Amino acid sequence: MRPTSAPLTLADNRPHLRHLAGVRWVLLVAALALAGLGLATVHSASSELSLDYLPRQAVWVGVGILALALTFSIDYQTLSKFSLPIYIVGLVILTAVLFLGTVRGGARSWFGFGSFGLQPSEFAKLSTAVLLARYLASTNRRYLRLRQIAIACGIAGLPMALVVLQRDMGSAMMFMPLLAGMLFVSGVRWQVVVAALVLALIGGAILWNFVMLDYQKTRVLTFLDPGREPLGAGYQLRQSKIAVGSGQVAGRGYMQGTQSQLRFLPARHTDFVFAVLAEEWGFLGVVGVLMLYATYILNGALVAVRARDRTGILLVVGLLGGFAFHVVYNTAMVVGLVPITGIPLPFLSYGGSFTLANFIAVGMILGVDFRRYVNR
Amino acid sequence: MKRVREQRECLVSRVPRLQVLLAVSLIVIATAYWRVQVVQGDRYHGLAENNRLRRVPIKATRGLIFDRNGRVLVDNVPSYNLLLDRTRSNDIDAALAFAAEVLDQGVPALETAIERQADSSPYEPILLAENLTLADVSRISIAELEFPEFQIDVEHLRLYRHGSLTAHILGYLGEATEADLARDPDNYSAGDLVGRKGVERVFDLLLRGRDGERELVVDSRGRTRTEHGRRPARSGNNLHLTLDLELQQEATRYLEGRAGAAVALDPRNGEVLMLVSAPSYDPSLFTRRLNSEQWRELVESPNQVLQNRTIQNTHAPGSIFKVVLANAGLTEGTIEPSDSVFCAGSTQIYNRRTRCWLRRGHGWVNLRRAIKESCDIYFYHLGQKLGINRIAHYARLFGLGRPTGFDIPGEKAGLIPDTEWSLTHRRSPWYPGETISVAIGQGPILVTPLQVARMIAVLANGGRLVTPHVRRGSRSPLSAPIAVDPQAISFVREAMWAVVNEKHGTGLSVRLQGIDIAGKTGTVQVVEQKSWTSNEDLPEQLRDHAWFASFAPASDPELVVVAFVEHGGHGSAAAAPLVKLIYETYFRASDAS
Repeated sequence: MRPTSAPLTLADNRPHLRHLAGVRWVLLVAALALAGLGLATVHSASSELSLDYLPRQAVWVGVGILALALTFSIDYQTLSKFSLPIYIVGLVILTAVLFLGTVRGGARSWFGFGSFGLQPSEFAKLSTAVLLARYLASTNRRYLRLRQIAIACGIAGLPMALVVLQRDMGSAMMFMPLLAGMLFVSGVRWQVVVAALVLALIGGAILWNFVMLDYQKTRVLTFLDPGREPLGAGYQLRQSKIAVGSGQVAGRGYMQGTQSQLRFLPARHTDFVFAVLAEEWGFLGVVGVLMLYATYILNGALVAVRARDRTGILLVVGLLGGFAFHVVYNTAMVVGLVPITGIPLPFLSYGGSFTLANFIAVGMILGVDFRRYVNR
Repeated sequence: MKRVREQRECLVSRVPRLQVLLAVSLIVIATAYWRVQVVQGDRYHGLAENNRLRRVPIKATRGLIFDRNGRVLVDNVPSYNLLLDRTRSNDIDAALAFAAEVLDQGVPALETAIERQADSSPYEPILLAENLTLADVSRISIAELEFPEFQIDVEHLRLYRHGSLTAHILGYLGEATEADLARDPDNYSAGDLVGRKGVERVFDLLLRGRDGERELVVDSRGRTRTEHGRRPARSGNNLHLTLDLELQQEATRYLEGRAGAAVALDPRNGEVLMLVSAPSYDPSLFTRRLNSEQWRELVESPNQVLQNRTIQNTHAPGSIFKVVLANAGLTEGTIEPSDSVFCAGSTQIYNRRTRCWLRRGHGWVNLRRAIKESCDIYFYHLGQKLGINRIAHYARLFGLGRPTGFDIPGEKAGLIPDTEWSLTHRRSPWYPGETISVAIGQGPILVTPLQVARMIAVLANGGRLVTPHVRRGSRSPLSAPIAVDPQAISFVREAMWAVVNEKHGTGLSVRLQGIDIAGKTGTVQVVEQKSWTSNEDLPEQLRDHAWFASFAPASDPELVVVAFVEHGGHGSAAAAPLVKLIYETYFRASDAS
């Protein structure tokens, strides 16, 4: 946002084309590999259905790559400059979807265009990340003041609240790791973290145990997650674990998984696509994919570390924080380590807006890297 | 440009900690996968093999419903549905084209049906079309080899044999709501049909039985190989009601074209033999999914056809309420049967001129004549002496002002006013002039026809409250005798006999040869009348409502009949013939048997 002194070897206010060679392209390679694997797995998971999701997902990947090229070419400082209006437009759209959106899976979080739908909350996360990066970059202190933390929480909390109102709990939750990652890097004293945790726990416990009545609790749970099925959750987890376990070491082979091919496993092309992958490619496949994710995230972290300025660092950290949480939570959920919530796996799960948003994030991260020598 | 030194390094220094966090998370996750896939892999592999069992529900047959004479009121009839098994489809387009041709509808309609259910659980065949004709069924069955994806499913639909005749009592079925599923997940699952109203609703668990299940072994293509096991469905229990279809038919026929309610119950045990609410609706509308237009039409119909007027509509009881005052006056000793009041057709009470319905007046009337000829002046004076709170006390003893405990849900409590009610609900003190209105059953007092029937049953059985019910054999004990002088009750009973059987009685038109009927007429003013206007001169919607409440035989009552006709004019005119008709039908049948 503001020009700074930095270790610069070449001073120019435009990135030079020869800097292209120095960009961490391995990030893009990992992303494309994951997306390709995603297409194959989505096809395997849905080919027996009347509707194969492969062509639709392929279209989204194509659109995503175009969007990646576009965001790569835009200077993130320009984005940062316009981050407030972009953020406000995002809020307006999130509000509009509450009234004009269509309901899918119990959540009113979609704009339908024929058979395609857009989920504005995915893009709101990006605009929130940009504004947060701009704001936290401007604090420019070793540790954040409480007021600054509060403002950052407000920036993330506003769109998050709107997404909660859409009853899309999974998407709303995803604002948290984004915020948490950026706050952590900006510097939050551990006393503040502990105090916040203790306050939240005590407040929640008091509210839950002494203030709220049973029916209110049920109502809250149902409100937060209308797709919650008391009978269905157990079935889903059981089928998922059977799918994962029966893959054993080497897997049953592509398109050979009985759990998915025989359709025992619900949501197998979306939130549980990783179970299909685990069934068909085995433990080796699981480790391979986790390593691809690690490659993506750790290389992204390198981009953050060598970024030109605070805005760049924070933007990359925020984007990666959200991404990493998706990966960790989803893969943990599929194997039964954490409760089932509607959180998809980046690049692998079927889902247009989500895929598009992830490619845009790749474009932004690479863009930060491309401009690391720029000085204005 | 101002150059600010950015605190950059402190940001960078914190990134590695996040990297460590991620690495640890990924290692934990990889370990979990190692455990499930490598350590326990064999076990899960075996489970996956066993997972080839496919469970198919077997629907339980819902119990039938009979009237008291064993006549079938609700039956199940087979209906044929066309299902599409996606796992067996080779050429879905050709199959849909074929089905569209047979069913005589467009392919897009079928495609939307598929799209709507695209997210249904594995192996669940998709419902393409409902209610196929037998001709369609045979054409599709013949093409089985060519189009193996089609299945014909026989579903049993409720057939309400007598349609609108019993609609308000029996109710109808509807798809289980989320509330049903949450309330009783053991018995209800999504897509189940459950009783929505009336008997179908209250006795749903009894009627529904329990669905069974077949476990089929499917191959890797999802095709059924053999049956692995089955748990048969348990049919629902049949339900015998206390209703008498014939009485129901007669009353419905009489009320055709009018709005009103008729109730008949046995005062000895509370069995409800007849419960008619007119106008009614056709319950078969609910057998198939209602479209929103049909629903709106039902709900917004000016006659409120969905209302069960016997328990959900409340009105003032009119002169029928005088029997409560008579019992109160005698029990309290406020009056003696021999006390007389002079009725000149009108009188001055609380500085207000109040009228008797009979313009020329009744002359000297005692209690018996006051009941028989329904003299208003007599009861104005009695009401004035008793006061509103004592009147309310006795009204409540007779079961008014609260639901009767009827086994069909949705009952209104009605309203019995007293001074406290006036203060809490109207925030104004009770106005003594109102007591005069309440004394003849007008003003802020509301009852349902079923409450009136129960009140009359107390007189008929000598002082006990019954619990009205339609399920035969349900234990519904009578209450202990209510705190009313038994002599008062028998006096009022005798006076009610006079209403129907003596000269000048207001219910003389009900008189039947050979059967002693006792009764009381009632009229509810729809608009307050300043003078004696003849009802025939008023437009229909302003005409009075007519009540007739009765029991028979007078000496040993076995049936209480209450009729209420909206805008029916004076009590004896519109409601009395209905009551007479019911007794004729009832006693003709019992003579025959």
